[in-house]
Amino acid sequence: MRFLIAGLFEGAVFGLLAVGLVLVYKGARVFNFAQGEFGTVAAFTVWALLGAGWPYPAAIVVGLLAAVVTGLIMERLVVRPLLDASRITLLVATVGFALFIIAITVLAAQPEPRSLQPLIGGEDRDILGAAVSPQRMVIALVLIGLAVALAWFFNRTNRGLAVLATSQDALATRAVGISVPGMSRFIWGFAALLGGIAGVLQAPIDIFYPGFMTRTSLVPAFTAAVLGGFTSLPGAFLGGELVGVVHSLGLHVLKDNWNVPGAGELTLFVLLLAVLLARPQGLLGKEA
Amino acid sequence: MADVAARVSLAPAGTGHRLTTSGIVARTVVASLIAGAVLGLPLLTADFWDQAIGLAAIYAIIGLSVNIITGHAGQISLGHQAFVGIGAFVSAFLIGTIPQIGFTGVLMVAGAAGGAMALVLGLVALRIRGLYLALLTLAFGLMAETTLFNWRAFTGGGAGAPAPRPLALQTDQAFAYFCLATVAAVLFLDWRLVKTRAGRAIVSVRNDERVAATLGINVTGYKLLAFVLGGLVAGVAGSLFAHWNQFVQAADFGLEQALVWILMAVVGGLGSRAGVVIGSAFFALFPVLLDTFVASDVGTIRIPFTDVEFLAATLVPLLGALLLLLTITLYPGGIGQQLLPIRRWLAGGPFVEHGHRGTHVVEPGGPAGSPALAEPTVEIPAVGAALEVEGPVEGSSEPTTEIAVVGGVDA
Repeated sequence: MRFLIAGLFEGAVFGLLAVGLVLVYKGARVFNFAQGEFGTVAAFTVWALLGAGWPYPAAIVVGLLAAVVTGLIMERLVVRPLLDASRITLLVATVGFALFIIAITVLAAQPEPRSLQPLIGGEDRDILGAAVSPQRMVIALVLIGLAVALAWFFNRTNRGLAVLATSQDALATRAVGISVPGMSRFIWGFAALLGGIAGVLQAPIDIFYPGFMTRTSLVPAFTAAVLGGFTSLPGAFLGGELVGVVHSLGLHVLKDNWNVPGAGELTLFVLLLAVLLARPQGLLGKEA
Repeated sequence: MADVAARVSLAPAGTGHRLTTSGIVARTVVASLIAGAVLGLPLLTADFWDQAIGLAAIYAIIGLSVNIITGHAGQISLGHQAFVGIGAFVSAFLIGTIPQIGFTGVLMVAGAAGGAMALVLGLVALRIRGLYLALLTLAFGLMAETTLFNWRAFTGGGAGAPAPRPLALQTDQAFAYFCLATVAAVLFLDWRLVKTRAGRAIVSVRNDERVAATLGINVTGYKLLAFVLGGLVAGVAGSLFAHWNQFVQAADFGLEQALVWILMAVVGGLGSRAGVVIGSAFFALFPVLLDTFVASDVGTIRIPFTDVEFLAATLVPLLGALLLLLTITLYPGGIGQQLLPIRRWLAGGPFVEHGHRGTHVVEPGGPAGSPALAEPTVEIPAVGAALEVEGPVEGSSEPTTEIAVVGGVDA
């Protein structure tokens, strides 16, 4: 039971990242391997500003801004020139961009582990046997809040509907007067914002270092997105929670009982393989 | 990887262009200079550089193995550290437990291990296509890196295991030559491979899976073959790496490493053997070169106006990633594309500078002698004859890698 709870809280971050992945996939039909790096950029910016004596809220705002700017730069310099290239080429380009950002963070902050103070300090609380830190609770709350906000945005606002329309048929969307490049900018900026939020919230959980989001959370987030159906935002949230739970259980069973090295990665690989073979369309992969 | 892999055969121009004696002499001199430089370099240099040359050769083999899977068959593997790593660890394990098997035996078993691992992954994974396969291989590589390579009984856990060299190859120089010979062998096999029925089938699968299937080609079977061959070559490279370093540890086969290997193959130019070899060697030598030039006391560089200092070596991933992005966006054919005029000239054709990309990167769907290729023929008719497009070259919409093939996801 306590692994279930721990997994649910852990899965919140995967869900946050997965939503960004799904958003980009809806808009650009590509898997964005640089999604984790938006988070790293935000986390390092916050860390640097806190070090310079800034108050936490201001640091977070600037950190998220840095993530968004990174997303916009990527959209302009990497994604836009490759709109007509094959999807695999674009995928390799996102990998290259991720490596680029990792290299930049290494240059700017040294490849050493850092730590960030949590948003809210205090003791771990006991929830049904699982020790949950206040930071994890904040993440879960943010996730729930974002889920509601995104559902409203995509179903009730013109801009949200325009994003969905662009992802379905770019030509028809242009025909009714929506700027497709504008939408592309918006999607990448928004995805980067989500990645930034995930990074800022995840960094205080453990130590962080250049590339930490890519290393620890990208594969689970992709698994979550696949599990959710890759085109479904609710699916991404749900997938994140499921991956969190399975990951936590796998860690417990394999590592604590049999001392298998890399139990988390093993669990994720098996889960991803099982999902892709048994149900490649995911759980909620119907809506566009 | 459509446009990246657009390939043009380099058959010597048969018609209309006759070489003069001086032309033949010039070409022979240049060709022997290149061969002499590669073969003679280890003799001229000290131990330190022999080591670097050995590593460059090993990287070239890894690049060629990526080229088989991604360049020839069009399947992407982001988990290449699994194949290279298994070769390295099997090598160290065998040398440690049954030394009488000999170095050649170790190399062969390591190659077989890489091939077997690729076979196992391929059997379950190859029905998954395109972007999803990339994802799965990424997860597989991470799994192999953290689980398999840290398995204590087999790899010595995080501590690693020694991998001594055989007596005949003790010196770095001898080992560098052995690695260069292996590169030559892999190049030869790869050259033969694409000429065979199986090789053509593999390339046709890359170009268009559905067309290949309607021609009676066993698509999954040939993808699997390419995977296994790539894994085999990677396993051999891993074994060489283990003995080059004389020590193996899981940390040498990380995700970043695997991504760099993909990167160097793409920068080299998928589908172009020479390009891949040069690109790989560049990525192996670059850190060494940078370290030496910026050496010792100036090894740390300071960013102007800040307190930030960093090691010169950290520039490597930055420049590597930049090169990749520039390659993909500006010269999708990579170094292979840049080499084309030189190779054409060496093969007996005239020297035609490619100018910008429009002149020789084959446009989507262009058949032989398409408008994309017609441009140079206006001036020099022989070039048109020399350029023979190998199979249909796919363009912007690449059926093999479209997500639409995975049920239900694409709306």
